[in-house]
Amino acid sequence: MDDSSLADRQRVVRVPADRPDLAEAAEGEVDGGGADGSDAGGRSTHGGDADLTVARVGPVGLDGLDPLVTATRGGETAVYANAGPDLVSEIVTDLAEGTVGVVGEPLAVAGHALGPATFPPAPGTPLDVGNRHLLGGAGWHRPADPEDHAAAGGFVDAGLEAVVTAADGLRGRGWGDWCHDVDLAPTLDRAREAFGEAAVVVNAHGTAADPGARSGADEGSRRPGTDEGSRRSGTDAFLLESVPFAVLEGADLLATAVDADRVVVYVSEADETAVERARAAAENYPDPVTPFEVVTGPAVHRATEPTMALEAIEGNHRLEARLRRPGELPTLNGTPALVHTARTVAHLADRVQAADGDGPGHPGTRLVTVTRDVEAPATVELSETATLDAALDAVSLAGEFKAAAVGGQFGGLTDALDVDADPDALGEAGLGTEGVVEIIGEGRCLVEFVGRRAQRAADTNCGRCVPCREGTTQLTELLRDIYDGDYDEDGIAELLRVMNGSSVCAFGVEAARPTRTAMTTFGGEFEAHAEGRCPAGACFEAPEVTQ
Amino acid sequence: MSSDHQAGEVPPLTEDIAPGTATDPPVGSDDAATVTVDGTAVDLPAGSTLLDAVEAVESGGDASGGGVDGGTAETVPALCHYGREDIGPRSTCRTCMVETDSSGLVPACSHPAEDGAVVRTDAEAAIEARDVNLDLVLSNHNLRCTTCGKNGRCDLQDAAIENDVEEPRYGVLDDRDAYEPIDDSSSFIQIDRNKCILCNRCVEACNDVQVEGVLRMEGSGADTRIGFQNGAATMEDSTCVSCGHCATVCPTGSLVEKGIEDATTIQIPGFTQKNSVGKTYERDGDPKGPMTPKKAAERTERAASGETERERETAKETASDERRDWP
Repeated sequence: MDDSSLADRQRVVRVPADRPDLAEAAEGEVDGGGADGSDAGGRSTHGGDADLTVARVGPVGLDGLDPLVTATRGGETAVYANAGPDLVSEIVTDLAEGTVGVVGEPLAVAGHALGPATFPPAPGTPLDVGNRHLLGGAGWHRPADPEDHAAAGGFVDAGLEAVVTAADGLRGRGWGDWCHDVDLAPTLDRAREAFGEAAVVVNAHGTAADPGARSGADEGSRRPGTDEGSRRSGTDAFLLESVPFAVLEGADLLATAVDADRVVVYVSEADETAVERARAAAENYPDPVTPFEVVTGPAVHRATEPTMALEAIEGNHRLEARLRRPGELPTLNGTPALVHTARTVAHLADRVQAADGDGPGHPGTRLVTVTRDVEAPATVELSETATLDAALDAVSLAGEFKAAAVGGQFGGLTDALDVDADPDALGEAGLGTEGVVEIIGEGRCLVEFVGRRAQRAADTNCGRCVPCREGTTQLTELLRDIYDGDYDEDGIAELLRVMNGSSVCAFGVEAARPTRTAMTTFGGEFEAHAEGRCPAGACFEAPEVTQ
Repeated sequence: MSSDHQAGEVPPLTEDIAPGTATDPPVGSDDAATVTVDGTAVDLPAGSTLLDAVEAVESGGDASGGGVDGGTAETVPALCHYGREDIGPRSTCRTCMVETDSSGLVPACSHPAEDGAVVRTDAEAAIEARDVNLDLVLSNHNLRCTTCGKNGRCDLQDAAIENDVEEPRYGVLDDRDAYEPIDDSSSFIQIDRNKCILCNRCVEACNDVQVEGVLRMEGSGADTRIGFQNGAATMEDSTCVSCGHCATVCPTGSLVEKGIEDATTIQIPGFTQKNSVGKTYERDGDPKGPMTPKKAAERTERAASGETERERETAKETASDERRDWP
């Protein structure tokens, strides 16, 4: 860990922290340099070029640009996409010679004030899509170094009132949030009434989409991809990988407000980088109200659900949903707990910071991850007044757009993305608010798509309640029946209503969504299958022609 | 008495009991409340649920013993509900869904009776939810009632009859799955998991009332089942003390006492309770000592299969897409 922020340095080369080869290439070019052994930190070089720093930073969120390397000198930053070790060596030499952006083919050379504390705007590139309030430090800050976060206005000294004000009107992000799509303020009030007997849980468990989702390469393939390298962790884990202090600050602010005696950051055990960086940041966090505990849960979809997250943190070997008592907080080992996603608490911190700076305050933004039939996934930050299709500027589609599943594993299907990114508009359109847009290309069959989602739901639910456990099983069967010519539209709709209306937790409620929305928007595909045709040409064997 | 024998008698510590179920919040109301069910007002003490109100109106008497007129507009099966000995509510079957003015569609068994609540059992969405959920329960139940020892004294059979179920809309277990063998290995209690509705009453009776720590809920999705905390495959190899509480609380013919397992079957030559699903786990024939075996057996998740629940579940989730072709 360095004791000063990168913003104070004259010349900085930023390389992804998960690419030690690039960092080594950069450091090798600096005279007298030697690795300091830190994976996620930065290094001032001594003896040779004392002003040149190689910094290992978190991901920027745009996989198509990875590895993204930037070179900053004075008021200029050159941004290089898909950089290799050789190019990095040249970039360092370029900087040492007093120029920037001369070598290679930079994606952009951005001009800015001296020592920018957040990623400078790079107009005309995917980096320019949407806003960068929460993501300002992504690809710019060293994830384990609090100085970079502090330089960007972090670690605000805010009291109870500032937190309460910021929470008012802030809606929980994602299904892992106890306040999914609803205002945080009432739960915060309830936790404060617990008089210091409260816990704060940051839920960073979650997947961007089902593990079968992958990008580009499997276009036209009927089987979902299982390529390990193309899987993506959820947006919450991404924040921990990239800007963990933004998340921890939000948790610390909540802990301040409710005088919490326990703060837990909960992450999927599969998201090893997120776990590692959360632990490093927790270790380096300046004066937290109470030390952060980082706890892992099993890498299964249902473990994101807030009550199952609490069960996992408590150490139950088997995860099933808990009942919820109306109007009351859930408990962690008997203590009332605030359970919010990493996104939610990062937004909270962002709002507190904005108010602290006497600025106009940030407009509401939402993190949106675009994945599946794209060349490479991307996570961008959209204003709530922007439409989802704005996020498409950050990706290249793999093939023609046919439909999109909006809202994660159990997202809703739509044929158009001209819908606002705010939860009310998404809800009206029947879509999910998880912040994941899966592009479904031409050539994919939507009956198969929702059938597989139903199958997954049947295989992976917790098994507690009948409408979810048995409902998803029967839904799968009813969807299979379509292939035998039996499309029971009313029967399926009835089952979906009951799953939606009587399941114990959001898993069963949301598992109804893919089929419901697909039947509404793409009913013709279901009818065609019942007649033995697949409009996408994916489902039926070609009939044998006999002479 | 040998020291080995004494060690064998040590009861499990309660903190080691791992029933595999979630820690639910209390479900009863904080205060006494007056609730209206289908137009009939009923007074309830603190700690009551909406189902207490529904049952009071159904039975024509309120919880405090006062008379109430009317009855409910529709039957509310509340299949998994037990309501005695602090067992439940599990709120799993969702056949107690009712509509309330303030909270919409809710499970009556686990919703606190808030003062002034107005409940309708005959709201369209509530009837639909109860009917569909009852059929969903039936879809996964061994409906060979004629060879069942609980024929005529079965909560599920009663609910199906009261709700005029002629033909369950999702069919019956016969249509869909292979039967799981009947576990007839214990001398005292028999398990037919094909009849289990996963109400969890037995698990609570075993762990919370008898504090024996034998039964647990295990698995997930369609594989969810009642199992044994020591990882045993059969009742015989479990740490069961044969207290019989599980069989007492079982709403169906899933857990029955040996000796009366065929008490109410219909006599048809060739069809018996024991051969009703084809395969049975029998006693292994090894002589047993006077004490319950393996009372202090290792209580770990690895006992049976060598992998933890977490490893099993993660592998299952990853395998979901590859395992089955679509359609």
